[in-house]
Amino acid sequence: MVITGLGAISALGHTTGQFWYALSQGHTGFRTLSCLPTDRLRVAIGAEVPDYRPEDFFTPQDLPLLDRFSQFALIAAREAVRDSGLDDAAIHAAAAVVGTGCGAKGTDEETYQQLYQQGKVRVHPLTIPKGMPSAAASQLSLQLGITGPVFSVASACASAAHAISMAMTMIRSGMVSVVITGGTDAPFTYGLMKSWEALRVLSTDTCRPFSVDRSGLVLGEGAGIVVLESLDHAQRRGASIHAELAGCGMSADAGHITNPSSDGASRTMLSALEDAALSPSEVDYVNAHGTGTLANDVMETRALRAVFKEHADRLLVSATKSMHGHSLGAAGAHELIATVLALKNGIVPPTANFTAAGEGCDLDYVPNQSRKTSLHVALSSSFAFGGLNAVLAVRSWRG
Amino acid sequence: MNQDIENAVIMAISKQKGLDPSGIGPGSALSELGVNSLDAISIMYDIEDRFDIEVPNEMLADLESVRDIVDKLSTLIAARA
Repeated sequence: MVITGLGAISALGHTTGQFWYALSQGHTGFRTLSCLPTDRLRVAIGAEVPDYRPEDFFTPQDLPLLDRFSQFALIAAREAVRDSGLDDAAIHAAAAVVGTGCGAKGTDEETYQQLYQQGKVRVHPLTIPKGMPSAAASQLSLQLGITGPVFSVASACASAAHAISMAMTMIRSGMVSVVITGGTDAPFTYGLMKSWEALRVLSTDTCRPFSVDRSGLVLGEGAGIVVLESLDHAQRRGASIHAELAGCGMSADAGHITNPSSDGASRTMLSALEDAALSPSEVDYVNAHGTGTLANDVMETRALRAVFKEHADRLLVSATKSMHGHSLGAAGAHELIATVLALKNGIVPPTANFTAAGEGCDLDYVPNQSRKTSLHVALSSSFAFGGLNAVLAVRSWRG
Repeated sequence: MNQDIENAVIMAISKQKGLDPSGIGPGSALSELGVNSLDAISIMYDIEDRFDIEVPNEMLADLESVRDIVDKLSTLIAARA
């Protein structure tokens, strides 16, 4: 199973090229939010997509049906499909599986504001089709002409990684040969920012995963979409292959709703390795979940040590959320794309904003500067609130 | 008043379908303008806001031309007055 198309819109830019350039340079995409009023917010920074004007991408006729989370999914999907070179017939027969953690919160909040605050008695007739959690998946089908199985997957911060794992399973089963898959989220709404503030996990300055002075996560938005294809299908059409998606692991903690479990995380990594028929010592790089919260980074380091044992000291680990932010339902896809491009280019993107290692954080986190090295195998980890875990195993393509 | 309603309907259709309003007249067939049922409820939403009325679902049936919409709205607005 191979990855033949990449598409990303994020705080680091509107394209995969901009995304990768910023990652490889260690640039952080955090800024004071401009897409909503910040005067009543305690935390006013986020990884917002810069210079974003929906009308640059969509017609005035399409926009009333497109929540921001659907817009991002479409922009990334168009790029991924273009990159893959799939023809119309292959797209027509493909499936689409799209992860989202938040769905169309912007549409919901706008509607409720009109009803509850402005006292209106009617809402826009497109509120339901624009606001349903599966709207982004539906729009991919409608606008790209995808007629295979199309649906949404929700598992908070692991949504995209679960979506991609489902896509992989569908191709393995023989159900379809091509799946357009990934995740999308647009969490910058007043209500959602207030809800995240209340959870006390947001940093007020920046995201410093694994550092002693880490102060929490920085929320992000955007979408990451990949074209996943059976090797046979890709080779028959002479596709250009970015990397092999070698395996996936999924598990749940059955523990705490927000506190992550190192046992759950290590079981998921082991499951991905087993699925890919890889031994831990073959892994060169892990793109960590690495949120920059106090709880995650110690737990994840412990899990990495449990899985990789003495090899952990040779492992390169980085948290690209320090640059593209925690893009929630898109994060697993942003990070898979970062992992694929790391393997392809032989460059490990750094953990940005790193100061000094935190207590219980004793791995090589590739601090602040990307590292050029030969890479063959990598993992991309997502460990979501609610204890829902998914890990993807990627092998470089030397075909 | 009817002219106001007609202008409002034409502007709402123009906005919904991205059409030049000068090409839309009372005799224009909705099917020729590409107005489907989802467009019709979006257009009615604009009109309801503009005239502060509530258009009942049954009024959306059997609409074939711009004039049909204008006539039915005129009746509704007159009844309200």
